[in-house]
Amino acid sequence: MADIALQGISKKFGPNTALRGVDIDIKDGEFFVLLGQTGAGKTTTLRVIAGLEKPDTGKVMIEGQDATRWNAAERDVALVLQQYSLYPRLTVRGNLEFPLKSRTQNFTAKEIKERVERVAETLQITRLLDRKVEKLSGGEMQRVSIGRAIVRQPRVFLMDEPLSALDANLRDVLRVELKKLHQELGATFVFVTHDQVEAMSMGDKIGVLDRGKLIQVGTPDDIYARPLNTFVARSVGTPPMNLIDGVLKASKAILDAGGQALPVSNPRGKDGQNIRFGIRPEDVVVAPDAPAEARIFDVENHGVIKILTLDLEGTHVHATVSAQMRVKIDDTVRFGWKPEKVLYFDPANGRNLSLS
Amino acid sequence: MARIEMVNVQKFFGQNQVLKDLHLTIEDGEFVVMLGQSGGGKTTALRAIAGLETVTSGKIVIDGVEVQDRKAADRDIAFVFQSFSLYPHMTVRENIAFPLRAVRMDAAERNRAVNETAETLQIAQHLDRKPSALSGGDMQRVAIGRALVRRPQALLMDEPLGVLDSKLREQMRAEIKRLHIARGSTSVYVTHDQIEAMSLADRIVILHDGVLQQIGAPDEVYLHPKNLFVAKFVGSPVMNIADVQIDGSDVMLKGVSTGFTFAESDLAGLAKSGAGTTLGLRPEAILLTHAETPGYAEAVSTNIEPLGSHDIVDVRLGDTILRVRTESGFVSGEGQPVWVGLDTAQAHFFDNKTELNLRGVA
Repeated sequence: MADIALQGISKKFGPNTALRGVDIDIKDGEFFVLLGQTGAGKTTTLRVIAGLEKPDTGKVMIEGQDATRWNAAERDVALVLQQYSLYPRLTVRGNLEFPLKSRTQNFTAKEIKERVERVAETLQITRLLDRKVEKLSGGEMQRVSIGRAIVRQPRVFLMDEPLSALDANLRDVLRVELKKLHQELGATFVFVTHDQVEAMSMGDKIGVLDRGKLIQVGTPDDIYARPLNTFVARSVGTPPMNLIDGVLKASKAILDAGGQALPVSNPRGKDGQNIRFGIRPEDVVVAPDAPAEARIFDVENHGVIKILTLDLEGTHVHATVSAQMRVKIDDTVRFGWKPEKVLYFDPANGRNLSLS
Repeated sequence: MARIEMVNVQKFFGQNQVLKDLHLTIEDGEFVVMLGQSGGGKTTALRAIAGLETVTSGKIVIDGVEVQDRKAADRDIAFVFQSFSLYPHMTVRENIAFPLRAVRMDAAERNRAVNETAETLQIAQHLDRKPSALSGGDMQRVAIGRALVRRPQALLMDEPLGVLDSKLREQMRAEIKRLHIARGSTSVYVTHDQIEAMSLADRIVILHDGVLQQIGAPDEVYLHPKNLFVAKFVGSPVMNIADVQIDGSDVMLKGVSTGFTFAESDLAGLAKSGAGTTLGLRPEAILLTHAETPGYAEAVSTNIEPLGSHDIVDVRLGDTILRVRTESGFVSGEGQPVWVGLDTAQAHFFDNKTELNLRGVA
């Protein structure tokens, strides 16, 4: 079990800067998710923790000790990748035994057998133990990969998009199982993903990365409800948060597109100031007595809800409404927002004015 | 303008039957989406309509004319593939004009048609570029333009957005729908993505193992699935499924002593099914309370997925784990006691043997 701290980590690959002064504190036993797009630096961060990449500057601390110069084996971490990287010729048991049979380990045959069987039980793959890996489904293979990581009982699990190659239903199932596994093992998990649903639903903490910089670290609720800037605001939620430019005037939001006025409560910013208003689709209200008007550009039917795209003179605003609402493309509707849910961003730098 | 009928269509690839007695009618001007898993037969059905695949038996009728023996070129149908299949050495203009050259339309008219199509698809500024200089979305717009420029009777699309990223996919979806509304031509669209199907279609055709499972409007398919396959295929998270015993007006889950009480008329005829009954509940059809409530059963939360706009809460009720949609933060954590009730109007019952929905089938 281990605390991990990254202090001022920077890393370049040739002319490309992958990480720019990243500081992260990950507490013992935490499920920490690194969320970011391709190229944000999340995999590099994970590899720096694993000892597979040397940072150009900065320190990697594990349990308070400077581990920057330790090699991967000395760090006692296990890595699970998107590609299963199992030995196809071996059985499931063979794959699970493999890490325990390496020359640096001194396990008796009995210990190995016990450990493998306990892990198989945890992951519900006992009945597969004597099958060849190449005969397994994708979900089963990923369970075996995770099993191979667990069997050594490392202090830290590092997972790089382990679910992204699986189909949607299986991903739902394994998401819940991984969380359970984390609770059972009590180990530190660092989980890399570009999928905001995974980040929100699994993480104790989420770290949002953008182009090599760590923008914000917080609980899923912090990230969703109190984003530090517009980038974080747009990185979670489906559809993402609406950002609508306008001006604060006489305690109203006057939208640039169409000049319509919407009410605000507790506004941040001065009268006459340009504001980028942030409102989540579920906090946009579509109702006959709402203050503003828009045309419906698109209707997405999700069964339980509908997602409307409202067109305000070229600016698109998403609204989540009940599935029972009867609307169609090109209808004109009245809309507004829940004033207490509006966030205020500085259009110049994207900063959340409510947090500064 | 085209009304398309498939009449008792069978298709074999060797020993393998991929379409089993397919019978359906697509009305003139309708947007129909064929939905299913890979191997379900949806692409084969589309290719059979287009004439890219012969049928083993049965008829394909377009506007009252049997076309199953005609070549693709003689059916006046346009096809858009997932891979854009543009000519890389030609400009966008030449790519779009290509089908018109084949029919020897004169140059002035050809130009006019190309410009108009490009305008509609908002790619007029790219007309003199090569496809390789375009983004994925623009390439697919060009492919759609090439299909539409002839003003075909029907437009068939096979997962046209499959290779695009999710943001672009959402945007292109809206454009395809608006294009359909503007043109009014019959459109048939194949996808495995249920949100895409629900959002685009006038009617959805669900195929599985080459067999038509259900054909209906998006709400009909979601609210009144004909069988267990449709019920589980449409909707996310998937519908909860549990074996139940029906005892008078009570529905009993395994390992739960309290039954859920239904109106007698809701259960009429259900208990007779010898093979047993499966209860199907969408995550929004399950109601949770914190306090003991009459008619509710006690359960315990086992997992919370906070998604910001709402939570998906797993609860263990007897031997069953149910996934429930709640407002954000309604259940504070795992291991909490909660009381579970059902919105009986939204409950489905399926016969264990036939997997048919025993109730509310329109």
